[in-house]
Amino acid sequence: MRPGLAGRLSRFLVGCHPRRWRERYGEEMLDVLDQHHATARTVASLWASAVSAQLDPAYRTDRLSLSRLRRAALISAAVAAPLALVLAPLGYRMWQDSYWHPAADEPLETAAFSPHTGIMVTAFGEAIDGTDMVWDVTDLSRPRRLSQIEGGQPVALSPDGRTVATIAYSGQPVLWNVADPRHPVKMTTLSDGDGSQLEELAFSPDGQILATARYDKIFLWDMASPARPRLLRTLDAPVTSPAGGGPIPFSQQDLVFSPGGTILASATGTDQVTLWNVTDPARAYRLAAIGGAGDFIQAFAFSPRGNLLAAMTYHGTVLVYSLANPVRPARTATVRGLLTRAVFPSGSPQPSETPLCATCDGLGNYAVAFTPDGHTLTVVVDREEISANSGRDTIFDWPVTGSGTLGTVTAAARDVADFQPVIAPGDRTVLGSPPGSHAWHAWPLP
Amino acid sequence: MHGKFDDLGRFADPSLLILTSLSDGPKHGYAIMTDVAAFSGVSMEPGTLYGALSRLERRGWVRPLAAAERRRPYEITAAGQEILAEQVKTMQQIVRVARLRTAMAWRA
Repeated sequence: MRPGLAGRLSRFLVGCHPRRWRERYGEEMLDVLDQHHATARTVASLWASAVSAQLDPAYRTDRLSLSRLRRAALISAAVAAPLALVLAPLGYRMWQDSYWHPAADEPLETAAFSPHTGIMVTAFGEAIDGTDMVWDVTDLSRPRRLSQIEGGQPVALSPDGRTVATIAYSGQPVLWNVADPRHPVKMTTLSDGDGSQLEELAFSPDGQILATARYDKIFLWDMASPARPRLLRTLDAPVTSPAGGGPIPFSQQDLVFSPGGTILASATGTDQVTLWNVTDPARAYRLAAIGGAGDFIQAFAFSPRGNLLAAMTYHGTVLVYSLANPVRPARTATVRGLLTRAVFPSGSPQPSETPLCATCDGLGNYAVAFTPDGHTLTVVVDREEISANSGRDTIFDWPVTGSGTLGTVTAAARDVADFQPVIAPGDRTVLGSPPGSHAWHAWPLP
Repeated sequence: MHGKFDDLGRFADPSLLILTSLSDGPKHGYAIMTDVAAFSGVSMEPGTLYGALSRLERRGWVRPLAAAERRRPYEITAAGQEILAEQVKTMQQIVRVARLRTAMAWRA
């Protein structure tokens, strides 16, 4: 029996005990189940316990019930339970076939890391057909897949590697306990009362705060007790048109905490990154909004010291801001035209290319990161082309000064199709997977 | 099993393991399961554990302590210690006879 199914059936069977029994033992038994690796034996023991408790006169409470009715119900339950045990796995499999596919043909969307524990979680596809996979990447060249959970993009992993935040089929943020990464256990679903699309999730560097972003709102959750997160603050982050006018390409909320955990940066709407002071998350407030020069900001990253923010726009412009005064970020570098210098699947750039329009999809996918010493800014561009879907990766490296100016760029190409490249922290490795593939590969940056 | 343990039916063996586990101090449910597995090799499932715990509590052989969040520790009572001592004595008698008889069987 699948561990996930056994866990769900076990929790269901706890609820099948008499009310008085549940009031007395229910919570502690659920706590035990949170820590216990449920198997078919667990289900059988709980079923026997439920039947036994239902027959136990000590737990009879309802004065109105007729003894015959009770007996009939108990017999029916006793007959139905074994049948359910047989039919439930079949039903579960059918449900999976209908609604949740393990993203067999979805490429890697993103990856979340817990560098100290060597655990990585990858997201393939969206909630309705997505899968998150838990990996041991102590050695990234020899990854070991540990488990697979229902989820998709977005996904985040707590710095201690014990909690995965991802998206449930319902569209709600959901937390999984991966303290035993081979046997993830679903902990709780976060209810924020907002029905719009869940866009992004991020843990603070100390793991105490989880930020969840929807279309135009950001929610900050206290994660002191990961099984029972507490909503601390809701931030309004309205989606706006680009400064130069034009339609909104699509909604996007990207979230990144600064390395010190005092600033949360969100790509709110189309052309801005908003900085929030989250030193006291219950009283978080907006510090500043950084303009994207009229272009949608698609990826961004803090420098290791948190004094710089680098952003990549939809049409291939790199922007660097100094956060020496986070209330008044100062742009220190602007480099345009990366898209036309990045190579296509054919291996050639198209310098004369003019992006068609603000709403045109399929220009490129980007990954942005600083080196751990903060001296180099790296942007990886994967050109998209409808005929080939995904092209080679082009890597741009700039030396960065402490004040945020960029030196002379060096560019290199790798003959890999990554769809959405992801730069792993620390060891300068790029992860990605070609379209139509469930597999991902890793290659070192030059 | 003999004596008062007879009433416990299929929960007699798990009850003995639980009482043994609690005899060196209070423990909550999951700690009992891991302790029992460590000292006896018996993998006790939650349904069995709480089936036995509820019966032991009803007989006054274990006592629930104040819960910390969802975890409630249990401790063995004086009556529980007494019944455990009786059971151990019975088991020692069984072991003594078994040793004696198996030794005789080997000699034969």
